[in-house]
Amino acid sequence: MTPAFEPILGRYLTVETKGGPRRIHVESAGGGRDVLLLHTAGADTRQWRHVMTDQGLREDYRFWAFDMPWHGKSLPPEGWHEQEYLLTTEAYVDTVLAVSDALGLDRPILAGCSMGGRIALQIARLHPGHFAGFVAIEASDFQPAWYDIDWFDRPDAHGGQMGAALVSANISPHAPEAERWATLWSFMQSGPGVFRGDLSFYTRDDSLVGRLGEIDTKAAPIHILVGAYDLTCTPEDAERTAEAIPGATSTVMPELGHFPMSEHPIAFRPYFADALARVSADG
Amino acid sequence: MRDIWEGVAEALDRRPHLLRLGRLVQDTLLVRVEDGEWFLHFRDGRIKRITDGPSRRTPWTFGLVTDRAALDAFWRPQPEPGFHDIFGLAKLGRARIEGDILAMVRNLRFHKDVLALPRETLS
Repeated sequence: MTPAFEPILGRYLTVETKGGPRRIHVESAGGGRDVLLLHTAGADTRQWRHVMTDQGLREDYRFWAFDMPWHGKSLPPEGWHEQEYLLTTEAYVDTVLAVSDALGLDRPILAGCSMGGRIALQIARLHPGHFAGFVAIEASDFQPAWYDIDWFDRPDAHGGQMGAALVSANISPHAPEAERWATLWSFMQSGPGVFRGDLSFYTRDDSLVGRLGEIDTKAAPIHILVGAYDLTCTPEDAERTAEAIPGATSTVMPELGHFPMSEHPIAFRPYFADALARVSADG
Repeated sequence: MRDIWEGVAEALDRRPHLLRLGRLVQDTLLVRVEDGEWFLHFRDGRIKRITDGPSRRTPWTFGLVTDRAALDAFWRPQPEPGFHDIFGLAKLGRARIEGDILAMVRNLRFHKDVLALPRETLS
């Protein structure tokens, strides 16, 4: 009997970053143009499970998703137990490029959601030649916190439960119940202090503000997707960002929230297929 | 609106998963809707008592201050963007959360799910 495996294949590889070696969990599926996928804060590659198992998309694209260090199945660095995890733009950019290079990808498309979308825009500015195009989902130049990020790392409360309950505010009521709760599960599983450390980057690093105009979409096109039910990066935030990038385009997804690929995969699929086609247009 | 809060208390009693989730909750929630005030006294995850306000002598843990139209929009089975969550109401300027917000956040899923129960009881 042949097991009815899903088409996603998971492997580990150790990449060298400026901060030292990092053991990374990588998943891949499909055959075609390479697309590197970035998960949101406080989560992992499972957010991309529906995209990576979609037969039609897999015929045109080879998807790669990886867990950032400290997330999912990627270990934190040695000595983590005495560190405060705080993600920085520099470490984030460095890690994405290191993984892309270690996989041997030649100008893949980069698609990221939330903080993954933010760093995609930052990489578009800083390393325009590295990627062929960018799909920035629930992405803007900056989002100040409308909550206290320290809530999510307290010894007297469950950071995962609180984080999941907070981000549920960003999930559309149109999302199927099973997918809503599968999405929230990964936040509940997030390691102690990891969501807070991601949010430190997401809500405090304003290094893209005023610099969106430096992004050259002729070198690599950018399409921004945003869900109408996203309270964190609202359609106004995403559209403001797209308007500030010469040549960038954007689409509002009416029945989706902040985790569209995970919370409501059927509704997200046509928007993502369109976005990939747009940023692949240069060949 | 007292009947709505009584309906919430009864609906909560019929949901074992919420009772388990909120088994440590001892908070008093003040709900202020325009001129009306109600105190929902949670004990061990159940709404043990509902008292009418306003009352300066009733201690409360945290409060939700909003308007009736916003609550009605929040309680629709498929709310419009922003009205789908109490933090959305706050972001729209249609609600405020007062008092010990950390007490609310410690049991956030419980409190949000309880406040959303009228989506089922009113439909």
